[in-house]
Amino acid sequence: MAESPEPRESLIKREEDLPAADPIAGKSTSGWMLVSALLLTISIAYALWDEAFGQRPWKGMQKEFVSRYTRYLDSIKSDAGKSETDIKESPEYQQLDAEEKAAREAVQPEIDQIDADVKITQAKLDAITDPFQNQRGRLTVINYNVETTDGSAKARWRDRAEAKRREVVTIEVPSDDGKSTKEEQFDYAKLEKTYNDLRDHKSERLSRKAELLKTPSELAKKRDDYLKNHLIGLGPVAIEGLKTKMANYDYSILGHQISVNAYNIVDRCEVCHAGIREPLDIKPASMKSSNGTEDAMSRAFVSHPNKEILQLHNPEKFGCASCHWGNGRATTTDEKGHGRHRFWLWPMFEKENTEAGCQQCHARDRVTQGAETLNLGRDLFAQRGCMGCHRYEGFDRETDALAGTNQQIGQLRDQMTANEKQILADTQASGSEKATADEIKKLLAHAESLRVTNSLLAARIDQLNLQSKYQMQDVKKVGPNLKDVRVKLRKEWVPVWLENPQGFRPGTKMPTFWRFATFPENYANAPAQHMRDKDNADQIQAIAAYLWQDSFDTKLPTQPQGNAGHGKELFESRGCLACHSIGEGASKMGGDFAANLQRVGEKANFDYIVRWIHNPRERVAPYCPKEKRDLTPDDYAKKNLPFQFDTELHSRCPNDGAELQVQNMTVMPNFRLSEGDARDIATYLFSLSSPPSYASADYMDNPQLKDKGKALIKQYGCAGCHEIRGFEDEQRIGKELTVEGATPIERLDFALQTKRAEEGHDPLNLHGKPAAEGEGEQAQKNHAEAEEKPWYNHKGFFEHKITQPSIYDEGKEKDPKDRLRMPQPFLTPQWRTALTTFLLGSVGAEGSNVPSTLFFNPQDQRRQDIQNGWWVIKKYNCMGCHQLQVGQRSVVQDLPFYQTPEGKDLLPPRLTSEGARVDPTWLLRFLHDPSLSGEKTPEQQQQIAALPSPSPQAAGSPQPGQVANNQSNNQIAKLLPQPGLDRNGVRPYLQFRMPTFNFSPNELQILVRFFMAMSGQQDPYIKEPMLPLTAQERVLARQLFTSGTPCLKCHITGDPSRDAKAIAPNFLLAAERLKPDWTFRWLLDPAQISPGTAMPSGLFRKEGDIWVSSGNLPPAASGYDHDHARLLVRYMFLMNPDEQRQLLAAGPATTALPTASTTQHHARAKKKRPRLNHARRRSRAALLNKITR
Amino acid sequence: MRRFINKWTILGVLLVIVALWAINVHDWHQLWTISSAPDNIPIVAMLFLVPFFTWMGVRQAVANDRLIEELEADTKLAKTHHRKVEPWRPGWARELHVWPYLVRIEFLATVIVTVVLFIWSIKLNAPLEEPANPNLTMNPSKAPWYFLGLQEMLVYFDPWIAGVVMPSIIMVGLMVFPYVDSNPLGNGYYTLRQRRFALWMFGAGFLMWIVLIVIGTFIRGPGWIWFWPGQTWDHNAVVFDKNVDLHDMIAQSSVGKALHLGFLAQNPGKFIFGLIVVSGFYLVGALFFHWLMTVDFKKMRLPRGFSLTELHRALFPKNAFEQKILSRTSLLQYLTFQFFAVSVLLALPVKLILRLALTIKYVWVTPWFNI
Repeated sequence: MAESPEPRESLIKREEDLPAADPIAGKSTSGWMLVSALLLTISIAYALWDEAFGQRPWKGMQKEFVSRYTRYLDSIKSDAGKSETDIKESPEYQQLDAEEKAAREAVQPEIDQIDADVKITQAKLDAITDPFQNQRGRLTVINYNVETTDGSAKARWRDRAEAKRREVVTIEVPSDDGKSTKEEQFDYAKLEKTYNDLRDHKSERLSRKAELLKTPSELAKKRDDYLKNHLIGLGPVAIEGLKTKMANYDYSILGHQISVNAYNIVDRCEVCHAGIREPLDIKPASMKSSNGTEDAMSRAFVSHPNKEILQLHNPEKFGCASCHWGNGRATTTDEKGHGRHRFWLWPMFEKENTEAGCQQCHARDRVTQGAETLNLGRDLFAQRGCMGCHRYEGFDRETDALAGTNQQIGQLRDQMTANEKQILADTQASGSEKATADEIKKLLAHAESLRVTNSLLAARIDQLNLQSKYQMQDVKKVGPNLKDVRVKLRKEWVPVWLENPQGFRPGTKMPTFWRFATFPENYANAPAQHMRDKDNADQIQAIAAYLWQDSFDTKLPTQPQGNAGHGKELFESRGCLACHSIGEGASKMGGDFAANLQRVGEKANFDYIVRWIHNPRERVAPYCPKEKRDLTPDDYAKKNLPFQFDTELHSRCPNDGAELQVQNMTVMPNFRLSEGDARDIATYLFSLSSPPSYASADYMDNPQLKDKGKALIKQYGCAGCHEIRGFEDEQRIGKELTVEGATPIERLDFALQTKRAEEGHDPLNLHGKPAAEGEGEQAQKNHAEAEEKPWYNHKGFFEHKITQPSIYDEGKEKDPKDRLRMPQPFLTPQWRTALTTFLLGSVGAEGSNVPSTLFFNPQDQRRQDIQNGWWVIKKYNCMGCHQLQVGQRSVVQDLPFYQTPEGKDLLPPRLTSEGARVDPTWLLRFLHDPSLSGEKTPEQQQQIAALPSPSPQAAGSPQPGQVANNQSNNQIAKLLPQPGLDRNGVRPYLQFRMPTFNFSPNELQILVRFFMAMSGQQDPYIKEPMLPLTAQERVLARQLFTSGTPCLKCHITGDPSRDAKAIAPNFLLAAERLKPDWTFRWLLDPAQISPGTAMPSGLFRKEGDIWVSSGNLPPAASGYDHDHARLLVRYMFLMNPDEQRQLLAAGPATTALPTASTTQHHARAKKKRPRLNHARRRSRAALLNKITR
Repeated sequence: MRRFINKWTILGVLLVIVALWAINVHDWHQLWTISSAPDNIPIVAMLFLVPFFTWMGVRQAVANDRLIEELEADTKLAKTHHRKVEPWRPGWARELHVWPYLVRIEFLATVIVTVVLFIWSIKLNAPLEEPANPNLTMNPSKAPWYFLGLQEMLVYFDPWIAGVVMPSIIMVGLMVFPYVDSNPLGNGYYTLRQRRFALWMFGAGFLMWIVLIVIGTFIRGPGWIWFWPGQTWDHNAVVFDKNVDLHDMIAQSSVGKALHLGFLAQNPGKFIFGLIVVSGFYLVGALFFHWLMTVDFKKMRLPRGFSLTELHRALFPKNAFEQKILSRTSLLQYLTFQFFAVSVLLALPVKLILRLALTIKYVWVTPWFNI
């Protein structure tokens, strides 16, 4: 407007100027007005549009959903109500089917060839196995005699062994075409070689077959998927109903929001995820966009992948964000809705960590059904030693309980002392001359009442002492007892291990202490060299020196070498592999619960390992928590007591009566192996590796290093996992993690990684690598997306922290004592996800997204019992051998030896319905002593003694008495006797040994209650009384037992000739062990209770209201109109040794092999199962032999 | 000298400063994060709008001043030329009505502002941040931009002074100014000449306030630590500032020790010392404002020789116009103005410099208040 005015002259001149147009009055603003009015109109229109659509992007989603879903419904309408056959007739299915058939046919010739080959090989094997095993067994016996005799006898036995080896047996071996047989001569070497060759050949052929079948199986899966996708669960009417719903769709938020006033939950997730609760199983492929591609929306419209969980956690009550997190109210963008916004503190859990949501409410559970990742996380936290340093509420049950008890004892003691003082004072005061008679009376009465109180307190203390004894028995440590270092380990090995634990034993629980230890070369995520402390070598020396110098130094019984071959068999068959693994890399086999034993020979002392296998709980010396020191034999000698300590009668300190730590704090149980067997196993383990020579480690005897070592052990918290002298009462050094997931992000110290984390630069590249199972472009895309993702969040923090704890120390200037102490654990990507999930969900009540009233907090005893039980079950890795839940696999189940049907029958029993099966009192006794040898009446014991030993080898092994004799001959100090030696209480025929866990009464109780609760049993259990049998009933029962139902063929009877091939428990145990109800159901249909059991089904058929034997009815049955099955149950429950003998005498003198008549009988039963079972039983008997030798 | 100060040299210098700063920026992302935060949009806009409108006002004022000068020189002309914005020309109406000539422009402005507000409110949502957590204060915890000046003041003064006294003085001062103003000229049009002192005072005060807001917005990071624009806001950054009171500083300095001034740190000493310093400050400040009010900068010259008279003449050339206004001002008006001017306009920047450059915490410590 304002032009700078002209100079003055012009101003004056202007007077004469022509009238000028007025710059204000003469100017029109209409142009401006028009433009701005238009702009205003447009912006109003824009505002209206924005109000209706721009701010409501979900409307577009809803429209898209309706159109896609309608399209999908139309497409499946034709399939609706279609039966399986209809779909199978469709051309698409036919096509897929044809492809599958073609692929199968392509490989069929070779498979046939393989099958034929395997058949012949098997025939040959069958022919050769028995003679070979006979020869081997005899040779083993001779070898044993060589080992255990001396002088000339030894030489004689040697000669005999040699002779045995040379001995030639003639075997009729089937020819290669399988049609004829020819006789062949074998000496032992040839026999062994042929046997092994045949077995190798067979397995090689079978694996080739599996390889060939891979493509056809994949195609078959594709075909079956097609069938599954097109098999609509809904009929045409229901689909029409869904379509109508879509036609009248409510395009709003309110119609689709979940609002739970009581818990202040408002979730609008279903505004976009409209298909979540649809009754159909909607897959992304069903919700393709109009141009037929699968896009982000297709993935958003799917139904909930786990409808079962949705049923248990009704969204109408819980909402969505309660479990998944994220911002349930946001509807404008997925970024906001999923809580990925910068200001939304608790973003939705990533897909892999979804189960973190479960942990919020199920924080007290040890095992949450269906949350496998989370359960794995908990397992790892407990088993890999995280809880050695980090407290986590609920995980330290034993130590917490023990501390509580000890505190209580202390308080009561103080009270008692105070009372005693008062008593003394009162008594003295009563004696004074000034006191009146009344006062004296009062004082004495007071003293008397205090005495009574004290005696009550003393009783309570006694109770608590007992409790503390049990609790001490339950306290276990993750790592081995380092008080034993000197007796257990090779001295030079200790620094080698500290230097590089992962290098020596890849995957070990022992984490790498990156500040002084080194990582193996090419170790993923190893921190940079410069992160190590400058004095790393000195630190290793100092720690090793402290451990070495502060260890027990007792002389152990020296052990001769045993038989490695036998040791291998024992190792593989007794159940060691349920916890331990063996072999490295691809040949690794066994469980991850305990250490890999491949290289144990390189580090350990043979004598110690034998003793350990013999009884791992056996301590060198007991520890007195009151005196805070390990007791010596002198302590006992002073009190004239033998140096004897155990959990039973000798658990108290001779000096002050405090309960002692009398066991090693290991979860490893006692397998009741004889000393010889223990020796054999140890020999086998030591034969796996040859000890290298290590650098000398003389500095470990240098007393000057001790102090530094002690300080370092304290600093690094070694005592969290190990028992170390001087650190018995050491506290955890790590942060409590109970509510770690709820820590505000600002309080998670990303240190110098903060900026990198915010910018998405990941030094560890945790999610950068394309997933192994991902294929093609999608994986690449994910990969690219993942790489850019910032990790400045809880997930990122935890993942980086556990993958490489040193990362948050990188580049920091710190005093050595302030540096991070967390060592680097061994983690697989799966483990990392599991642990992260666990930590993410650990938010406590404060940090939880769910009101605490909704937490899973079972009030009923049953569920509490189950959760309590899981702590113990997981602690001792019961699931390594047993299946406790439907669908759960045990470790031993997946071992190569048990993959055949015969092998499967030799697995430890499934415990899915154990509570229903057994009497709780019996179970308690059994768990206490699985050999069932200790607490029997003499008569029963006699009976049990008549039971066959589990294996000929075990029978051949020396009995305790013999051992003592042999040892005295060889001047070997004796290990403590082994109670229940080599005996399996219930199933002597199994090679697996239910070990003695030495549970405290507390844990026994918990376990029994767990099994009862798992099977929904009534508490308390009241035993049903058994009516005595009448004479007629007895006769009938006997006949049924021996003829109709072939019970005695498989069940152990006590008659050694029969029992050699028995595969089922003794009836004598039934009365005590089983529940009659269950037994009755079991008799009727065992397969239903335990699928795949060897017990035949269809033994009874229903006639009217009663079950009668489906076999040939014995003569006594005529005129008996009661239930045969019930009768048998009663008979079994009233069985006694006499009856059993009579029964055996009465029964036909059968061998274990089924006679023609029984085969017929089973054929008549018109069920395939019994026959199959008998076939299986036959081959199993063969296998049994195989394994035993 | 004056020849070199034109818009091009000013622009050039500004550009050089900006370039030097830009070279030193380490973290553009951080700068963008701050500038693009929805609640910082107004302050970013002000960075441009304030200079622009100031420039526009000054330009108009300069034009007016020239016109006034010309009209003053010719009284005849002055009588005919009423319109101050532009010199009147024949044919023009002598006076213009508010309706429609002013109102239509105002209406236009209203429409345009409405459009801008529409778009703004649609595109930029309310800057909500994370849910409040009583257990965790956000860091940095910043007030809305318009309060950041107040918040920044807390760095330099006692909360009581910065949060209660100063704002009260400012508000009362703003209310009082119409009554202490004895200058009848310069109402309703832009002028520099007729309201030189008032404009400078207001400009300085306004600029000071804007600077405080800019510091609060762009410079204060986590822990209220000073991060230059373009420096990363590092949550782990640490600084060590040991702010001492003036009396302690003097007492503990080597000079103070030599002179045995230890008593200054004791109680009656420090009270009296602070009182003297503050009184001195008021005295010097008042003299400074008086000088500013009356000096004629155009007539300031380098002294020729070193006589006091010569120096006085060089530093205190009289400004006739301001003298005239001063003579119309009552003592009460004058003292009221001086009080507010020294207490706010001078005290704040002085304390800012003392605190930032000399790490002085307080100059006057009393049991009741600290300054």
